[in-house]
Amino acid sequence: MNKYGKPLIKLMQSCLIPLAIACSGLAHAQQNQKLLTPCYVDGLEDRLMCGVIPQPLAKQNGDGTIEIHFAVIPAIKETKPTEAVLAFAGGPGQSAIEVAPIFARNLRYARENRDIILVDQRGTGKSNLLQCDTDNLKEQFAFDDQAVSLFKLAKEETQACISKLSTDLSNYTTVAAASDFEAVRIALGYETLHLYGASYGTRIAQEYMRQFPNSVATAVLDGVVPMQQSLVAIGEAIDDSLAALFQRCAKDTTCKAQYPDLESKYNTLTSKLVEKPIQVSVRHPRTFELIDLVITESKLRGAIRMALYSHTTRALIPLVIDAAHRGNYDPLVGLLGNENTVGAIAMGMHSAITCGEDWPNITDENRTKYKASYFGRLMIDALDASCPLWKVKPVNPDFYKPLNTNIPTMLLSGGLDPATPPSWAELTMVDMHNAKHLIAPTATHGVAAQTCANKLIGEFIDTRSFENLDTTCLEKDNTKQYFMNINGPVASQVSEEL
Amino acid sequence: MMNLVKVLYKKEMLDASRDKRSVMAGLYYAIGAPIVMCLLFTVLLKQLNSPEALSITIENAGSAPNLVRYLEGHDITHGESGSVKAITLIISKKYPDNMSQGKSAQVTIVADKSDNKLIKSVRRLEGALARYNSEVASLRLISRGIDPNIMRAVTVQTQDQATPDSKGGMFLGIATLSIIIALFYSAMNLAIDTSAGERERNSLALLLSHPLSSTQIVLAKVGAIASYSMIGLVLVLVVSKFAYGMVPWEQLGFSINIDVMFILFCTLLGLPIALMSASLLVFVSFMAKSFKEAQSYVAFVLFVPIGLSMMTTYDIGTDYVQWIPIAAQQYAMIEVIKGNELPIWQVLLSSFSTLGLFAIFAALSSRMLKSEKVVFGL
Repeated sequence: MNKYGKPLIKLMQSCLIPLAIACSGLAHAQQNQKLLTPCYVDGLEDRLMCGVIPQPLAKQNGDGTIEIHFAVIPAIKETKPTEAVLAFAGGPGQSAIEVAPIFARNLRYARENRDIILVDQRGTGKSNLLQCDTDNLKEQFAFDDQAVSLFKLAKEETQACISKLSTDLSNYTTVAAASDFEAVRIALGYETLHLYGASYGTRIAQEYMRQFPNSVATAVLDGVVPMQQSLVAIGEAIDDSLAALFQRCAKDTTCKAQYPDLESKYNTLTSKLVEKPIQVSVRHPRTFELIDLVITESKLRGAIRMALYSHTTRALIPLVIDAAHRGNYDPLVGLLGNENTVGAIAMGMHSAITCGEDWPNITDENRTKYKASYFGRLMIDALDASCPLWKVKPVNPDFYKPLNTNIPTMLLSGGLDPATPPSWAELTMVDMHNAKHLIAPTATHGVAAQTCANKLIGEFIDTRSFENLDTTCLEKDNTKQYFMNINGPVASQVSEEL
Repeated sequence: MMNLVKVLYKKEMLDASRDKRSVMAGLYYAIGAPIVMCLLFTVLLKQLNSPEALSITIENAGSAPNLVRYLEGHDITHGESGSVKAITLIISKKYPDNMSQGKSAQVTIVADKSDNKLIKSVRRLEGALARYNSEVASLRLISRGIDPNIMRAVTVQTQDQATPDSKGGMFLGIATLSIIIALFYSAMNLAIDTSAGERERNSLALLLSHPLSSTQIVLAKVGAIASYSMIGLVLVLVVSKFAYGMVPWEQLGFSINIDVMFILFCTLLGLPIALMSASLLVFVSFMAKSFKEAQSYVAFVLFVPIGLSMMTTYDIGTDYVQWIPIAAQQYAMIEVIKGNELPIWQVLLSSFSTLGLFAIFAALSSRMLKSEKVVFGL
């Protein structure tokens, strides 16, 4: 059963598709040699050192233990053996170890002298993965999510996942997970850590700073989630990011000529889909067999939303909208089939976070505010359906207090971020006494991966201060030209034939 | 008997330490070599590495604004001033046409690939272009409704067993070579002075007139020389520890890390070599008729251990070269510094054969001292 539910629920619930980042440490391996064994991660040639420690599942004794897996990316030249960079992945639900290649790139300057520690947060990756079943692409394509009640669907999906996992998600919240990271630090023997959190990873990083301030030397929060705000607020950021794209196209003469009235075309298209989904027969993006595709509003918006995360795929959005408006759905099929943008989010763990932390504190006022956007509505509906079933204990209200800290903290935001816009970082740092907010105006989600921020992070970790940090390089425009036709960013020339 | 050797050893040590200038001259190598080498390495690394902001000449940039911006995003920009590398990227006139029609659009890289200082920058440019190529190609497929992953029929996942400590390659070889050579050079002057020199000062005959066997004399001298070799070795190791720490290896993705364990290991490993080296130097010096002749012979004979060491440094030896004294010990040093397993059999066998050589050279020397021809340099 539940043939169809998963992908839609996944889309509705996945709040912050993270360009995750994580780190691990190898430094003090000497006395902990037994703890670590060589290991490898797909996409990274370097030899990492992996290990596992048992941790109590619940704060109250009893309840058994959970295995927390971690990996250390060894420093190139270990001049700071007592320090390491601890990287937190996003999602919520991403495995830090799986995205080691991204962390290794984002933290390459920091890694020159320090190990990077990556810990699979409880419920993700190898640390007791809480994953629900997902549909394959063919089923997702054929599913008409407008033909059923979303609420009912979400409930069914959740019920299926609950019986699959049969565990109390209250043990998987941010607050519960923070001590696992501290246990790993102690096991590896590092004295102080530099934190790097991306996306949701910034929330767990802040919680770690709150619970273990003495273990933290510096913190870098990249794509910042404020403690006092629900992830559901993301809907507005998505709309803003898309609006910025429409604006840029309208200002660009070639784009304007090629794709006039892009925004209104998009609106026409979505309202047409709300009325009636479009049913077409298309080629499977991989196998090329003929399959059915029901284009619904959520599928179109979802595909566009995912594409907003990277400039590479943003380049296709005008083409996708324009083509779909004219009845050519191939580019949209391409985006829909481009699954890897989502990455592997552990949906069970994701629900533990969203139901325990993001759902209980939504005031009626915020509810109305968030529902102004399509994705805000979608997420609130999904949470309203699933959270009462998961029965995650709401976190202590203190959790929502902004972090009050003297730890040097660098906050990074992308001006075009479709998830965590710069205003979120401002909200985050209200009680931080030694913090600096850097904005890369043309970056999207995950600034370190797209700009010179990786270098700034290295310098910041070395000096532990913002002085002498030359941040002008963040201003560099890193957008890409939009595709003007299916061949590339060059508009058709006064054409001879092909 | 051992007491006599001890007394004589003390005398030799005292004798050697009196001539401070020549002792220091011997140790200059140990102090200077690592420092000079690190300066050279630093310059070399800078040249081998591509500068962070790579400036090249881009012709016809206006035809491919998206590509040019992509390269800028990877810190490869068009430049006019002095720091521009001799690399030219020519974007063809038909680039926009071909790009918009889905044909392959041409860009040309003009550079001298034999220029070692350029090669990293050229590779970086080629890499950036390859990534741009695959990015645009992927988007072309997506816009046709095709998953670009189908272009990856085979995913190649390399698991590199190297660690940052083991990627040093030839740098590691050169570093260990300089350590081994220190054993031979630090006490070279002393060895000649205490044998050929002593003979020329006519004090050798005096020494032999004491109730001592020639073996005792040779052992005492060899002991003193070896002691100075060991001082040289420890010095070179300690200086290297700090000097190599200053070289920015990490820019090339590896490090050469000399830790206390490695210093202890080398000291232990160097002991038989120091004895062998000392006995060899004494033997050669006694063979020569005069001080000057001894200097020439010694310089010549030292080519053998240096040659063996070079074979390991440049990794040109066959497998059994790794069992020959000197080459084997250096091989072991490289393995240890890389963090690999200690090649215990090579170490044991080569150490024993090194000690065997020491015994042979010492025996030969002591036999020579029984000959008046040798003692009086006739």
